Amino acid sequence: MSDLLSNLWLGFSIAGHPINLGFCLLGALVGTLVGVLPGVGTVATIAMLLPITFGLDPVGALIMLAGIYYGAQYGGSTTSILVNIPGEATSVVTCLDGHEMAKQGRAGAALAIAAIGSFFAGCVATVLVAALGQPLTRVALEFGPAEYFALMLLGLIFAVVLAKGSVVKSIAMVVTGLLLSTVGSDLDTGAGRMTLGLPELLDGIGFTNVAMGLFGFAEIIRNLEATGSNREIIEGKIKGLMPTRQDLKDSSWPIARGTVLGSILGILPGGGAVVASFASYTMEKRLAKDPKRFGRGAIEGVAGPESANNAAAQTSFIPLLTLGIPPNAVMALMVGAMTIHGIVPGPQVMTKQPDLFWGMIASMWFGNLMLIIINLPMVGIWVRLLRVPYRILFPSIIVFCCIGIYSIDNSPSDVMIAAIFGVLGYWLVKHDFEPAPLVLAFVLGPLMEDNLRRAMLIARGDTSIFITRPISGVLIFISVAMLVLALLPMIRKRRDEVFVESEN
Amino acid sequence: MAEDAQSRPTGGGIFPLRIRGPREFYGGLALVAVALFALWAASDLAGMRGFSFGPGTTPRLFAGLLIVVGAGIAISGLLVDGPPLESYALRGPALVVCAIVVFAVTIRGFRFSFFGLPVRIPELGLIVATFLAYMISVLAAREIRWVESLIAGAVMTAFCVVLFRYLLQLPFPLWPAF
Repeated sequence: MSDLLSNLWLGFSIAGHPINLGFCLLGALVGTLVGVLPGVGTVATIAMLLPITFGLDPVGALIMLAGIYYGAQYGGSTTSILVNIPGEATSVVTCLDGHEMAKQGRAGAALAIAAIGSFFAGCVATVLVAALGQPLTRVALEFGPAEYFALMLLGLIFAVVLAKGSVVKSIAMVVTGLLLSTVGSDLDTGAGRMTLGLPELLDGIGFTNVAMGLFGFAEIIRNLEATGSNREIIEGKIKGLMPTRQDLKDSSWPIARGTVLGSILGILPGGGAVVASFASYTMEKRLAKDPKRFGRGAIEGVAGPESANNAAAQTSFIPLLTLGIPPNAVMALMVGAMTIHGIVPGPQVMTKQPDLFWGMIASMWFGNLMLIIINLPMVGIWVRLLRVPYRILFPSIIVFCCIGIYSIDNSPSDVMIAAIFGVLGYWLVKHDFEPAPLVLAFVLGPLMEDNLRRAMLIARGDTSIFITRPISGVLIFISVAMLVLALLPMIRKRRDEVFVESEN
Repeated sequence: MAEDAQSRPTGGGIFPLRIRGPREFYGGLALVAVALFALWAASDLAGMRGFSFGPGTTPRLFAGLLIVVGAGIAISGLLVDGPPLESYALRGPALVVCAIVVFAVTIRGFRFSFFGLPVRIPELGLIVATFLAYMISVLAAREIRWVESLIAGAVMTAFCVVLFRYLLQLPFPLWPAF
């Protein structure tokens, strides 16, 4: 315990350094901006800003990038409530009740509850990351290749199960991501794999290019198709930022439940903030005495999901910092940021770079405090930003993405690869394929292959190693069980559909 | 059911099965095609050596899996009714891609051979490349306001130059060099 406190103290002394506070503020500001603007996602932004962190020291760079991530969760709720447009995928459910509240003239209360819930969740998650860091790191040291492989498999299965839409299609995306990740030099032999004779592909397809294409460019192409969205901005001054006593009473339990749920879903590989907010909304609706109020301005429908997404955004750092496994696309970009600075994510970060580890964790608390200050009194400014028309916004995003990708390696071909993935992303959406599992698989692919090969070498080609080793066996068992559970209702539904048809 | 089959004669005689879920069917087929292409591209790589993996083992493993899953999706498109194909926009995507590619080839110049003819695109530098890419992207929108876009493009270019070249000191060529 005293260990934890002294570590946290170290963290706070580093994060509290004026320069790092500045980076934290900058990250929170950019994050809020990104969250507010629809069509600019977190993944694309962090990818765009990677080159900006080249010159910074690693602690500052990571503090800033982390700030963007959880800042976006805050900003997304603002537009959901005031404009009924989710700025981020994580605040889609906040629209349902938050905007209703705003229509009833309670925008202030909704915004305040969202901010208070997020702040509370952020604080709890900060402590959780700190507390779980050490024990999990110790577990990680016990991990051999078989365990790592099994854990990553579990992560991919989670991503499949938690993704929207068809389970089989998500599996297809995972496999596609794995296949794409094998392009480039082989780790053991150095042989160029599936490079089609192009020297540009020898280093493999860069993750930032894939992320930028699938999440940045594809999103723009798709938005261009949408017919003029009606943005009904709540006009007039937002009054009564302070929620009433009744509001606070109504939302205290949803905030607590959302925090717990979000923290758990954030740690799980393949989970994350989006899933957490949906899960929390569903839970609050189930638990409510009068579920009919949901969708008509129930404050619980704002408090729960907003706490959950913020908690999840922060706890998703746990697998990255302790096991070195990124649980979602944003964390995969953090791997990229760490690698640029020569840090290999994993259990050794905590021992070798304690200032980085604890500084980043403590900065999350500072960041959450700043976000409350940025968000509540400055809401008007953020809303005004929404009036920037998309026809000005999207060419700026394209140009910024291009420069960002180019500057990472000074490579024009990277920019073209991103364009190809932009078109691919557009096609995927048209066929109801989800890009998120593909990206996660793409990131985990090389790690999985490496661990699979090592495990097979150690076991002399005996595949039963994955089942006979206890930790790995349990992980594989959970993966298979999850997959079966996810597939069962689909099979049952198919059968129902067949029955329905035969009756006609 | 019978009426439905008549109203859509695409199934009919040659194909005993009607495509009931075209999004699934063509989506799955495309994945199978990708997997087959990967198998072909990886065909020169060595496979297993005893119990250690060769460079070609994993790509083939994943490609094989993708064929199975993709074929499954395609077959489900034959058996289960699904939504129709969405129409694709052409102008928007084409212009966005064009803007990106123009930026890529002009920022530092680009050489390639087109059917044996060497083509050399000159280096235009950050300022021109950014502005060009911005203006081509503008064309992708439904509604184009020239004056507004020209001003916004110039502002964005200036912002990028200040941010990337001066604040971040990244080594971009600023001006065209021939």
